[in-house]
Amino acid sequence: MGTPVTLVKDSPLDTRKTRSAAPAALKRRGRRENLAGYLFMSPWIAGFVLLTAGPMVASLYFAFTDYNLFNTPKWVGLDNFTRMFDDPRWQKSVEVTAKYVVIGTPLKLLLALGVALLLAQSRRGQAFYRAAFYAPSLIGASVSVAFVWRSIFSDDAIVDRTMSVFGIHVGGWVGNPDWILYCLVALTVWQFGAPMVIFLAGLKQVPKELHEAAAMDGAGAFRRFWNITLPMISPVLFFNVLLETIHSFQIFASAYVVSNTYCGPADATLVYTCYLYQQGFKNAQMGYASAMAWMLLLAVALVTAVLFWSQKKWVHYEEDAR
Amino acid sequence: MATLGLAATTGCGGDGGTSADGTVTIRYSWWGADERAKKINETIKLFEKKHPKIKVKTDFQDYQSFWEKFQTQASGGNPPDVFQNAVTFLRKYDKRGVLLDLESQIDAGNISLSNFRAGVTKVGEVDGKQLGIPVGSNTMSLVVDKKVFQKAGVEPTAGWTWDEYFKALKTIHDKTKVPGDTGYFSIMYLYDLYLRQNGKAFYTKDGLGFDKADLTEWWQDGYNRVKAGIVTDPKIVAQDRPKSSLSAGHGASEFTWDNFTVRYTAEGNSTYGLAPIPTMDGKHTGQYLASLMLSASARTSHPKEVAQFINFMVHDPEVGKIMGYDRGILASTEQYEAFKPTDEVNKEIAQYEDDTAKAGVLGTITPHPSGADTIEAAFLRIGGDLGLGKVKVADAVKQFFDESQAAFQA
Repeated sequence: MGTPVTLVKDSPLDTRKTRSAAPAALKRRGRRENLAGYLFMSPWIAGFVLLTAGPMVASLYFAFTDYNLFNTPKWVGLDNFTRMFDDPRWQKSVEVTAKYVVIGTPLKLLLALGVALLLAQSRRGQAFYRAAFYAPSLIGASVSVAFVWRSIFSDDAIVDRTMSVFGIHVGGWVGNPDWILYCLVALTVWQFGAPMVIFLAGLKQVPKELHEAAAMDGAGAFRRFWNITLPMISPVLFFNVLLETIHSFQIFASAYVVSNTYCGPADATLVYTCYLYQQGFKNAQMGYASAMAWMLLLAVALVTAVLFWSQKKWVHYEEDAR
Repeated sequence: MATLGLAATTGCGGDGGTSADGTVTIRYSWWGADERAKKINETIKLFEKKHPKIKVKTDFQDYQSFWEKFQTQASGGNPPDVFQNAVTFLRKYDKRGVLLDLESQIDAGNISLSNFRAGVTKVGEVDGKQLGIPVGSNTMSLVVDKKVFQKAGVEPTAGWTWDEYFKALKTIHDKTKVPGDTGYFSIMYLYDLYLRQNGKAFYTKDGLGFDKADLTEWWQDGYNRVKAGIVTDPKIVAQDRPKSSLSAGHGASEFTWDNFTVRYTAEGNSTYGLAPIPTMDGKHTGQYLASLMLSASARTSHPKEVAQFINFMVHDPEVGKIMGYDRGILASTEQYEAFKPTDEVNKEIAQYEDDTAKAGVLGTITPHPSGADTIEAAFLRIGGDLGLGKVKVADAVKQFFDESQAAFQA
């Protein structure tokens, strides 16, 4: 979001280099242009301050208080944070979210990469397939799709009946605490279109000569994929892993709707944000909910840091060849 | 957008909703489904015709979303002027200064407390304050699938004991393969009746009125009955949501408010009726009249108009005719007499409340402390987890007491 400022830095639009030498008239013009720039940015700046930065600061303060939305917040220090570790439902929510991220994200990326590899080759109807596979990403996050999901995975609905044909009887996934989470995993995997498009763009960048040269040397398709394609698209892969992991941590709407607003049977879909929402808006424990939100931020930051640290080992950028 | 923002500012300014010609606008919100929305809109048209200087804007959600939205609005200092309310929320929002004490409006003659049935206005009274005016009353009851009960040859009778009830569930399951009950052991209001039959109650003024041993016994039995197949598997209950397992055909009876029969009849394919609450001693059911009420916001800038609106909604006979028993048996005698049910279901509800009142079993409601809404949800959730076998009885009981403690403090 902060990009408009940084982008200008090295772009040809940057006026700073000329500024010191410029006559006064040009200087004034530069100021006017800056002013116009800020004016155009002001809706975004106002939105950022009022809707993002302000609430974040407030929530950081609430995280250290006992606050029920009505009475004045009472300072309790780190109580909200220590309370989490004694709270079995909080632990359950961490467990459920971790499971969702660890199972859902790799599956989604595998499918995205697989389909991208198929669609990267030129063949008839390619545009149609790309659009078709991308469509779920556009509508997938909507509440209505979650409703549809809920009904196709409920008892005696299409999924249940299909599985029964193969002799597997679990009843509806929606009411079954052992299965309902996989219903959510399936929903996120189904939305593989967005990372797929990014993979496609990455695959287009792989120079054909490398493949041709390798083929001349007798490398098979798998060998070429492993030794050429994968390293070449590793920055794209890294980007997708990062984005999808962060995204997965924030799952809320689908869990809320599929389990019919109660995140459960047996808290089976009590994802982190769902519990946070319950504590904040249902149980009026806004202080605790704020503390949970900051804990989530810390966890995501930590995971991101680990991913960035690990990229040295497996991500290859062009400039490495320098 | 600009007018919207302006309206919001004046709303916070304190003279919200008064336009140049002296017309006052009040906001009215409630929970329910489309059926209720149609009826309520009709009653509002009627009100606006008779009070041309008052305009009413409405807003409705289902029960869960209603209270989430209300909480956010109320904490932001912008609750609706009038809203539907229930006993579970009285102390909670009174403690937070959200509810208007209607006593002054009663004294001013804008609301009349006369002509109410059987002391039902007591429900809206907390610590000497009148925080809500009842629109309808209801009683906990046992709603039964009549067809299944007949098929099994089971006939519920007044004063039957819990032993007889559970025997009946077994007979039903043996003969029809349908579990007899949809999960009695996680319903807070039913457990309250059971405790009252035993000289206790779910709540005291500021805490729980029972101990861990009581709940352990209640939930252990409940779990055993799920395993025995005579109580619906909570998995199925979860799958049936938002329908009830009773109307979905996955249970033969369900403890709930008597006016829910209307909803189940609309939802399900069978015939539904009302049966007496089982007892310990053949007499005491522990029942009381609960009620949906109308409450007003303490921050409303039009207390008089709001009071007139409430008075109209609870006393006007025409309104009674339109609403019927949608929110329970009509609370004021004017409305009760104006509406004579013609369909079987509504007739049976009226008969049930009549019989219950005549049997002399009705007591007064136990007060619900602040946090009762959270506790009710926890009781239902943990009870469900227990039925699924996801948590041991001892752990479930401990968890419930822990969560209740937190809820009372919030």
